[in-house]
Amino acid sequence: MSVTSRRLRSIATATLTVGLALGMTTACSAKKDAEPNANGTGPVTISLSYFGTPGFNQAVKDFEAANPNIKVDVKNEGQTKDFAPKLAQWISAGSGASDVVMLEEGMLLQYLKDNKGFANLLDLGASSVEKDYLSFKWKNAFTADGKKLVGLGTDVGPLAMCYRTDLFQKAGLPVDRDAVSKLWPTWEEYVKQGEVFKSKNTGAAWTDSATSVMQPYIMQNADSWFYDKSDKYIGDTNPAVKKAYDLGLDMAGKGLTAKLARWSADWDAAFKNAAFATVPCPPWYTGVIKERAGDAGKNKWDIATIPGKGGNWGGSYLAIPEQSKNKKAAFELIKFITGKQGGLDAFAEAGPLPSSIAALDDPKITDAKNEYFNNAPVGKIYAGAAKELKPIYLGPKHQALWENAFEPAMQAAEQGKLSAQAGWDKAIKDSKALAEG
Amino acid sequence: MSTTMTRPRNLPVEPPKKNRGRVRSASAALWDASPLTYLALIITIVLSIFPIVWSFIVASRENSAVTDIPPPLTPGPNFFDNASRVLANTDANFVYGLINSAVVSSCVTLSVVFFSTLAGFAFAKLKFRGKNALLLIIILTMMIPTQVNIIPLYLLMVKFDWTNTLQAVIVPFLVKGFGVFMIRQYAESAISDELIEAARVDGASTWRTYWSVVLPALRPAAAVLGLLTFMETWNDFLWPYVVLNGDTPTVQVSLNILATGYYKTDYVQVFTGTALAIVPLLLVFIAFGRQIIGGIMEGSVKA
Amino acid sequence: MATNVGEVTGPRHGRAPAGPSKQPSRRSVRVGRLDLRLSPYLFVAPFFVLFAVFGAYPLIYTAILSTRKNTLTGGDAGFVGLENYRKILWDEHFWIVIFNTFGLFFVATVPQLIFALLIASWLNKKMRARTAIRMGVLIPNITSVAAVGIVFGLIFADRYGLANWLLQSVHLDPVEWRNHRWSSWTAIAFMVDWRWTGYNALIYLAAMQAIPKELYESASLDGASAARRFWRITVPLIQPTILFTVIISTIGGMQLFTEPLLFNYGRIQGGSLNEFQTVAMYIYETTFTNNYNVGRGAAISWLLFIIILIFALINFALVRRSVKGQTS
Repeated sequence: MSVTSRRLRSIATATLTVGLALGMTTACSAKKDAEPNANGTGPVTISLSYFGTPGFNQAVKDFEAANPNIKVDVKNEGQTKDFAPKLAQWISAGSGASDVVMLEEGMLLQYLKDNKGFANLLDLGASSVEKDYLSFKWKNAFTADGKKLVGLGTDVGPLAMCYRTDLFQKAGLPVDRDAVSKLWPTWEEYVKQGEVFKSKNTGAAWTDSATSVMQPYIMQNADSWFYDKSDKYIGDTNPAVKKAYDLGLDMAGKGLTAKLARWSADWDAAFKNAAFATVPCPPWYTGVIKERAGDAGKNKWDIATIPGKGGNWGGSYLAIPEQSKNKKAAFELIKFITGKQGGLDAFAEAGPLPSSIAALDDPKITDAKNEYFNNAPVGKIYAGAAKELKPIYLGPKHQALWENAFEPAMQAAEQGKLSAQAGWDKAIKDSKALAEG
Repeated sequence: MSTTMTRPRNLPVEPPKKNRGRVRSASAALWDASPLTYLALIITIVLSIFPIVWSFIVASRENSAVTDIPPPLTPGPNFFDNASRVLANTDANFVYGLINSAVVSSCVTLSVVFFSTLAGFAFAKLKFRGKNALLLIIILTMMIPTQVNIIPLYLLMVKFDWTNTLQAVIVPFLVKGFGVFMIRQYAESAISDELIEAARVDGASTWRTYWSVVLPALRPAAAVLGLLTFMETWNDFLWPYVVLNGDTPTVQVSLNILATGYYKTDYVQVFTGTALAIVPLLLVFIAFGRQIIGGIMEGSVKA
Repeated sequence: MATNVGEVTGPRHGRAPAGPSKQPSRRSVRVGRLDLRLSPYLFVAPFFVLFAVFGAYPLIYTAILSTRKNTLTGGDAGFVGLENYRKILWDEHFWIVIFNTFGLFFVATVPQLIFALLIASWLNKKMRARTAIRMGVLIPNITSVAAVGIVFGLIFADRYGLANWLLQSVHLDPVEWRNHRWSSWTAIAFMVDWRWTGYNALIYLAAMQAIPKELYESASLDGASAARRFWRITVPLIQPTILFTVIISTIGGMQLFTEPLLFNYGRIQGGSLNEFQTVAMYIYETTFTNNYNVGRGAAISWLLFIIILIFALINFALVRRSVKGQTS
C-alpha cells in the first residue's frame, strides 16, 4: 500500500460520504406529488406519459399558457419496448398511470379490445372535434363495436419511398424525384427496376429486407390483415397476406434484398455503408435514415412516391386511463396536443406529421423542406399522401402477430434457413397460435 | 444440506519447526506472482476492459463513430460536450438519478451485509432445531424466477402506497438469500468452532461473539458481498423502471431515458451516461478495495 | 459437520473478547442458556420476516395466478385448473426454450467457473498493483447492462461487427452470429462469461484467503507441484464456496435473460427460429408482450422454479461427490 493509493482511498471515501450525505438530505426532503385537486377550486395538475421523442415539450408549454388553471407534469418514460409492459401493469393494477398516456399503434390495438382501462373520449365531448382529424386516423381509434373512442391521433405515417441518388446514378437510373416516382407505378414495376439495378452491379441491394416490402404492400392493398372485423384470425386466407409474402420472398430469391434484420446493428451500419438503394419511408423514418447514415449520407438520399396506392405505417395516439381523476383537464390537453397548434409545435420540434387536418394545410408544413434529403419538399409529399389514407382494420394482437410470429418466420425464409413454403407454413402456424392463445 | 469438509489427509498439519529461514524463502517463492501469472492476468484484464474503454472512446466521439469499421481506438474531442449534454437533459434527471442510486445502493448493501453475516453465522456455527430445513428454504428463495415476481410485488407496492418512492426499491431487497448462503459457506471454512467456544468460555453472549469475533473474521467475504450487492443494486433496471417514474429515477432509469429517441438510439448519450454512472462505483471500489484484498498477505507473513 | 480448517492457525482477526473471566452467577447461566437457545432464531428471523412479505407472498400469488385465465390488459377470467400447464407442456415452443436454456448453461458455465478458479488462484499472490489488478478483473461487472448490450451487439454484428472483422483479418469466413444455434450460443456464452467470470473469481478469492498459508508451504517443502497443491489443497478447502458458485451459476444460468435479449437487439424471440430464446425470455414474452398472459407466464415460472430446484440438487450432489473425491 503506497501513500498515493492510501490518499486515493481516503479521497474516494470522503467523496462517497459527501455524496451519501447529500443524497440522504435530498431523499428526506423529497416530497410526494401533491394530490390532484379535483374540485376545480384551484389549479389542477395532470400528468402526461410519453416515450421516444414525439416533440411534446413546446405544445405543453403553449397549452399551459392557454389554460392557466391546468399544470402539466410531463413524464418521459424512456423506450417504447419498456413502456408497453409498464403501462399494462398500471392498467392491470388500476393505479400508477398518468392522466394522459401515449399509445403507439400496436398498443392502441390491444387496448381497443381490452378497453376497460381507458376512458371513452366520446363521453368527454370528442365528437365535436371529429372533423379536425384525418378520417382514417379517427376511425382507427374506435373499438370494434364503434361505440368507444379510446384515443386521439398525434401523428400519422403516410408512406413514400426513400432512395439513394448516388446508387441510382451509378446504375444509370434517373435521379430526379418525379422521374423516379414514374419508374414504379406498381410493386411489379418496382421489382423490375430492382432487377435492372442489380444487373448494373453497384455492389448494393435494391432494398433492405423482404419484410419491409411486405408491410407497406398490405397496408395499401387490403382493409384487413391478420383479423377480420369480428377479430377472427384470417391471416391464412387473406389473399393480400399471401401475395405480399410471395412478393417479398420473390425479391429475396432474386437477390434484391440485403437480408438485413431491421433495428439491428448491421442494419444501422448498412445505412452508412450504402448497402441498399431504396426503402419505404413514412415521415418519422427520415429521422431514422439521417441518424444512421450520418453526415456522409447528406444529400445522397431523396424521396419519391411509393409504388401502388397510399399506405400508412406507424403513428401514435393519446388516451386517458379510466383511473385518471382529472379526465376533463386531461381531455383538454389531448385536444390541444393533437390539434392544430400542438401538431405544428411537434412537427417543428421533432418532425412527426400531425393528424390534424388544419395543421396539414398550414404553410409551416406544406412549405417544409428536408435539407438532408436534397431539400425534398417533405411537407407537400407527405401531407398530400396523408389525406388519401384509408383505414385498415388491424385487430388486437396485430403488433405481436407481425413482429413476434410472422416476421421472424419470414426472415428465416429470407435467410435461407427455411424454404419459402416452410417459412409460410411456420408464419401462419405461429401467428395463428398466438392469435388464438 | 450441510456440507462437510474433511482436511486433506496426506498433508502434514504441523508447520515444520526447523529451517525457519527456508520456510521464509520458500514462502516468498510460493506467493510471489511469476511473470507468467502477470501475463495471464494482463490478458484477462485487457479482455475485461476493452469493451468499457471502447465505450468511453465512443462517448468522446459522435454517434456515427459507433458503426465505423475498423472501430475507432483513440478518444475524440467531444467527451465534455457529450457529458454536459447528458447532465443538461432535464428528462433524464441524471444527477438526481445518481444521488438516488447512491442512497438506494448504500441502504441495501449495509442491510444485506448485516443480515447476511448474522444469519450466515447462525447457519454455519450455531446449533438450533430446524436449521437445515430453514437453510434449504433460503436456497430455494434464490430459485424463484424474477420476471413474474414483478407483478405481485408491484401490486404489493400499490397496496403500501410505495410506488414512486425509494422505499419501493429498498425495502423488498433488504435481505438476499444469496448473501446468507454465501456467508454461510464462507464461515463454514473460515471460522473454527474452537474460536466460538473460546468466546463462550470467556462469557461472551452470542451477539457479542458475533460482533467482536465472527464479524471481523468474516470481513473478506462480507466486503465481497457488499461490493457485489452494491453493484447489483446500482445496475438493476427492470424493477426500478416499473415502480419508479421519471421524477424519482435511479441512475439506470435515467440511462434508459437517455437511450431513447423516436425509433433511434442515441449511442453516444448512452455511453457517456454509462461512463458517468461508473464513476461512483469506482469510488466504492477504491474505498473498499483494501477490505477485499486484506488479510491473506498479512496472515502469511505473520505466521 | 467437521470444519476445522481454522484449527491450524485460527482466523487472523478472530479474537475472543478480552477481560477477566468471572465465575458465572446462576442468573447469568440462565440468561446464557436462553441466549444459546434463542439467539440463532433471532439471527435468522429478519431474513424470514422480510422474505415472507417480499418473497413468499409473490411466490404464492404466482402459484394462484398460474391456475387462472388472466391477462394484464383484459383482467381475470376465472379458474382454469391446470389448463395453463397443459398448454405449455404440449407446446413445442416450451421444449425448444428448455433445450436452449440447458445448452447455454453448459456452454457458458463450465468454462466460466474453471477460468474463475484459475484467475482467483493467480490473484491470490503477492504482486504489484494488486488492488488495481483485482479491480480490473471485476470491471465487467460494474458496467450498466444497457451499455454492455449495445457494445456486444456491435462486436457480434454479422456484417459490420468487430468479431467478424477480426476473423476476416486472419482470412477466416465471417460468421452470421444470430443465424445458427452454435454461433449464437458461442457469442452469448462469451458475453455471459465476460460479465460473470471476474465476479466468481472474486468469490473464490475471498475463500482462498481463509486457507492457512502453512498448508501450502509445507506441501511445497514435501515437493508437491503447483498443480498438485491447487487440486489437493485449494480446491478441497474451498469446496463449500465451489458448491456455492455452482448452485448460484445454476440458478443464474437457468434464469439467463439479459444477455441473449441484448444480443438480439432487444428482440425477445431469440433468433428467427428461437435458436437462443431462454425460458426466462419465454416467460417475459408470454407475460409482457404477445398476449400479456399473466396466468400462462406464472405457470411457466413455476415450471422453471421446479426445474431449477431439481437441477440444482443434481449439481449439488455431483459437485460434492467429485470435489470430495479429490480429498480421499
